Amino acid sequence: MTSNYPWPTIIVPLPVPAGLLIPPLPPPKGGNKIVRRYTLGIRSPEFPPITHTLCYHFESKSPFVQSREDYDWINIPPDFHWRLGIDGLTMGLIPPTGFVTTSATPAARPVTRSPRSFYPSMLAMHSGQVGSFASQDILPPFLVWEPELIPAHSLLRSWGGKRRSYAATKSIPYTAAGGPISLLSGAITMGLYMPGEPALDFRVPADRSHPAALEMVSYLSFPIAYAIKPPILPSHARSPDTHGEAHYSTRMLPAGASSKMGGYGPLRINMESSPSAHSIFAPGLAVVGAIQIVCAASISPNQRSVKRRIAHPPVSHTGFVPIGIGPITEIGPEGAILQMISHGLIGAALSPIGGAGCDRMQTPFLGRMGGIAIPMPKIFILFSSLPIASLALPGMSGSAAESMVSPGIAGSTNRSYDSKIIVLVTAAIGIILTPIHPLSMPRQMPYGYSGVTPAVPRVMDYGPREIFIPIRPLLPVIGIGLYPNAVLSLCQSGIYPISISPEQ
Amino acid sequence: TKLIYQYARTAPPFPLVSSTLTGLGLFIFPVATNNCRRLYASISTSPSSIAMSIPLHTSWRQLAGDPIHRYPRSWIYNESVASETGYSIDPPTPTTPVLITTAGVMVMIYSDSHMPHDQGYLRFFAYLGLPNAFMLGSVPSPNPMQIHVFRESVGMCPYPSIGPRFTRARAAHACQKASITNRVGDFGSLLGVSGFPRATGSFEFESSSVRLEELLTDRGVSLFPATPCATPLFLGSVAKPAQFPLHVRSPDAMEGPTPIPALIHAATMVAAGIYPVARMFPPSEAPPSMMSSISWVGGLTALLGATIAPAQRDLKRVLAYSTMSQPGYMVLAPGVASYRAAIFHLITHAHSKAPSSSGSGSVIHSVEPVTGYCPDRSQNTAFMGGLRTCMPITGTAFLSGTPPPRGIPPFARFRSKDEIPNDGWLSRPILGWMAWCTAGPTGSHMLRTYLPTFEGYYRANAFGPPRPPASVWEDRRYRASGRGAGFAAGLLPTGCSDTTAAKLPVDRSGGTRSGDSRRGWGSTVTHYSAVEHYKPLLCPKESDDAMLFPLVVPTIPTFPVGSIGVQSPIGLGTGFIDPQPDCWLDLLLNYPRGIIQQDWSELLPDATTSVATALSGILVASILHGRRPILQPPRIDPELEGISGYFPSYLYDWSYYRGYVDRYYNIVPVASVRILAKKAPTPDDWVIDGIVNGVGISGTFGGEALRYAGGGRISHHSPGPILGTPIPLTIVTTGYEHDWSIR
Repeated sequence: MTSNYPWPTIIVPLPVPAGLLIPPLPPPKGGNKIVRRYTLGIRSPEFPPITHTLCYHFESKSPFVQSREDYDWINIPPDFHWRLGIDGLTMGLIPPTGFVTTSATPAARPVTRSPRSFYPSMLAMHSGQVGSFASQDILPPFLVWEPELIPAHSLLRSWGGKRRSYAATKSIPYTAAGGPISLLSGAITMGLYMPGEPALDFRVPADRSHPAALEMVSYLSFPIAYAIKPPILPSHARSPDTHGEAHYSTRMLPAGASSKMGGYGPLRINMESSPSAHSIFAPGLAVVGAIQIVCAASISPNQRSVKRRIAHPPVSHTGFVPIGIGPITEIGPEGAILQMISHGLIGAALSPIGGAGCDRMQTPFLGRMGGIAIPMPKIFILFSSLPIASLALPGMSGSAAESMVSPGIAGSTNRSYDSKIIVLVTAAIGIILTPIHPLSMPRQMPYGYSGVTPAVPRVMDYGPREIFIPIRPLLPVIGIGLYPNAVLSLCQSGIYPISISPEQ
Repeated sequence: TKLIYQYARTAPPFPLVSSTLTGLGLFIFPVATNNCRRLYASISTSPSSIAMSIPLHTSWRQLAGDPIHRYPRSWIYNESVASETGYSIDPPTPTTPVLITTAGVMVMIYSDSHMPHDQGYLRFFAYLGLPNAFMLGSVPSPNPMQIHVFRESVGMCPYPSIGPRFTRARAAHACQKASITNRVGDFGSLLGVSGFPRATGSFEFESSSVRLEELLTDRGVSLFPATPCATPLFLGSVAKPAQFPLHVRSPDAMEGPTPIPALIHAATMVAAGIYPVARMFPPSEAPPSMMSSISWVGGLTALLGATIAPAQRDLKRVLAYSTMSQPGYMVLAPGVASYRAAIFHLITHAHSKAPSSSGSGSVIHSVEPVTGYCPDRSQNTAFMGGLRTCMPITGTAFLSGTPPPRGIPPFARFRSKDEIPNDGWLSRPILGWMAWCTAGPTGSHMLRTYLPTFEGYYRANAFGPPRPPASVWEDRRYRASGRGAGFAAGLLPTGCSDTTAAKLPVDRSGGTRSGDSRRGWGSTVTHYSAVEHYKPLLCPKESDDAMLFPLVVPTIPTFPVGSIGVQSPIGLGTGFIDPQPDCWLDLLLNYPRGIIQQDWSELLPDATTSVATALSGILVASILHGRRPILQPPRIDPELEGISGYFPSYLYDWSYYRGYVDRYYNIVPVASVRILAKKAPTPDDWVIDGIVNGVGISGTFGGEALRYAGGGRISHHSPGPILGTPIPLTIVTTGYEHDWSIR
């Protein structure tokens, strides 16, 4: 097997045409069985190429972009190219994405209404997410990312809770606020303001020198574009609505993948292509992240719905990403990447148990649950073990990430002593506040004397499928927590050029 | 020799593996696992015993003078911050694992017979291994980071292990409280851990203490980076052994099954807190301001524990408060620079606490079938009495557990207990007095508990029928034992439980007593003769051997340890360990100021102060509680009837309300977090969502307006041309006339 095959280009757009084959199928008779198996059949062979690329075409030691592809897209001067490639940064993120989306398919089994449009949307979303990780140019993420919002919206709009219509419509203004306009403006200012030939490649602007003002403008436009995806502070208000209303299989996709995309954007574009602006703005970014941790942690205990409660820990988790990006040390961005991976996995584990639990109770409200530990011991075990993973118990990946981010802040050289202390103390207050809601949730749900028993006609414990889905992401969470080097060794080569660049 | 050090790394996984096995078994094959529960229990006990043998051996080798062994491994690989896990074994290291593993194994044996009736029996066993495993990982760690990571894990352990009682609402609250209080400590310890290498330039203990020493000697007072980094590090040590601001979780944690206090609160958590303090801040290198704050916290805790315990009637809560003041001493000790006393106290503490905590568990276990399964009754000393005749072994072991905390000479404790106030007097006199004052009352608590529990006569029958159990499972167990059937039948004496169920209603002399305890109390006087009559029937039975074994065995080492270093007339002294000169234990023995003497004759005068203090405590205890059994109703309302005559009422109130700390905690942090949780979504809902929703609504309105404007009716459109034509025309023409046109 040679590396002549354009693996990234095979991996990225494959699910879309495959998904487009589904709607013309005849309407399924026996539920969604055929469509579901077909989707799983698409996704499971999708995973081997990813693994294959990882194994044979990727050298973890090399800081350069590998398996690089460069196709002319529009052959006119402003350098519109389709550039995909894989480096350390990407490699840390693509396999978890594939991992999570693959397990989202069995999670979607309860969706029986119009499966022929549900599953293609999921496939399209998956393609968009992988595509934006693999791109080495400003253009492809725009090409694959913005279309990805369409299936995301339709998934949310058509399958979910009672207020799904509101949630789906709400996500549009948030997306539009930071979507194509700022991305494109930033890209164009960045790419076009060149003395010579314009360039949209990530690595090229990094080597050139720009006017400082221009760099700042474009730097600031990127976080606006990316802040939607991981709910970073101003736009985090979208997240509870989206996550509270969507079906849990749909939730696994944004929780598992889109949030990573948002952390990846600042790492890739901001840090790599405008390092001098980064060294100016990064402390502010870290403060935003710290506030976000505390903010989400303090909002969450007041939520009455389990789904909305579970939607908040990811917001706290992603707060560590801007903090980790802040310092110009190596360990900080590494911690940020680790946090993105772990957050995706934990989010993908939490949402199915929360969602399936609500389905079993036939209510999302915590006040109507209680005392389910005895009739449903398996739900109880999952509900008491997974939230503990979400509060970063040592031995789980979240804790490893946090314990890398904090020394990264403390050891950073580009910020004042005061700002370091502010960020550290605020983040650490978040550490006190974050366990309140994951711990009070099991207290109210399986514990207690079952004061108000829900009118559940048939008490049924989780089946094997419902156990398998959350357990599957939990295993890598524990694995990464016990030995973070396994992932870090892959990512390090990608981070090295980024963290070195400002010193140049 | 080298082999055993290499295998030392396998000690932590042993309990972890057993826990995982049990947990997986429960999860995958719940029915089968529950059927062979005893098998699983023995499976979990045996790896812990293996894990126990390893630190025992290494500790022995280290005492014999083996060199220091280190096995680092990279955990997070990074050039700037090398964070290495691994383990290093030097002389102070293995003694604490010995303590932890012995306590762990004892508790496992104990809970096997204490909890077989419990539905959460196996789950409880699965959790029991965890704190052991984490502590075994934490103790030999070469850097603060690893200590922090494992300590955080230990901090989460109370949550699942109080959890088995989760059907009781109070236990459910207690486990959340315990975890969050611990988390406050982790907050500080994470801050400290991230700042510490920054201040000292290294993660490792050795190099960072060297660096701290340089800082101290070079800059003198200016310790700016070191002090703020080291002080929060200490916060973790405040939370784990339940020191003053964070002590509130400890009494509440007593809601859990009794083995939990014995294991987690006497051994593991205390070790998790004290050991790093003594480890990280060797005497000469710690910043002085921090050391004084450490010692103040310890002193305050000791004082608080000593003053709160007297009014507690719950057997386990007395235990909790007296346990709390012992770690107070241990925290105080490093602050006044007696490190060896701290570690010594830590080790002896766990062992001498074992008979009291497991003893009280044994008492509760036996009393429960008689008084009912409500903790307000089964743990209340007011309901006990005369148990020594029913349960002689437990009673004797409990009694033998009462002297060591007081520090009476033949027992181990008196060394450290003497040394700490002495050191305190030397460095900070107020603290010395504080320690000395609390020594008496602290020591008397256990005796104060012993007297009403084991002496006198059994009073539970005087208080009416058992109350309804507080949780679902106890309810089941109650019914099961009432029928004399079910899994509890093998353990509980069947005759006893049968009579309990059958006779109690009769015994109440037709008493149809409702939940009104106060009325019932008023009528108890008539039952005395009935009580005496039915006493042999209703008396609780002695616990079985598996429960008594861990009760008795840990006390045994406290006797010889107390006489180490004393050339006793019998010749039992230093001979059995031959310490090397640089050995830790040897440093303890040949303490420079000679507090620990080499001869009984020199020893006795110095011991007199402590003995006098302790004796005064005993005296007070026996005066207060020795003669008269407390015939108080189960819940006294001190605002109505304080125990006037014994204590001034405000002192009693202070003690009864646990120093008002919980009350203020409910006001300040808890309520503020609640308010924050209520208010925090407001900016999101109104500002951010407001903008977005506003955009949406304005879109609708704008569309409506446009639609209205563009409705196609002439009457809507006509104002445009009518107004639009003349006005611009006028402007243009006037402008032209006045020559305003564009030039």
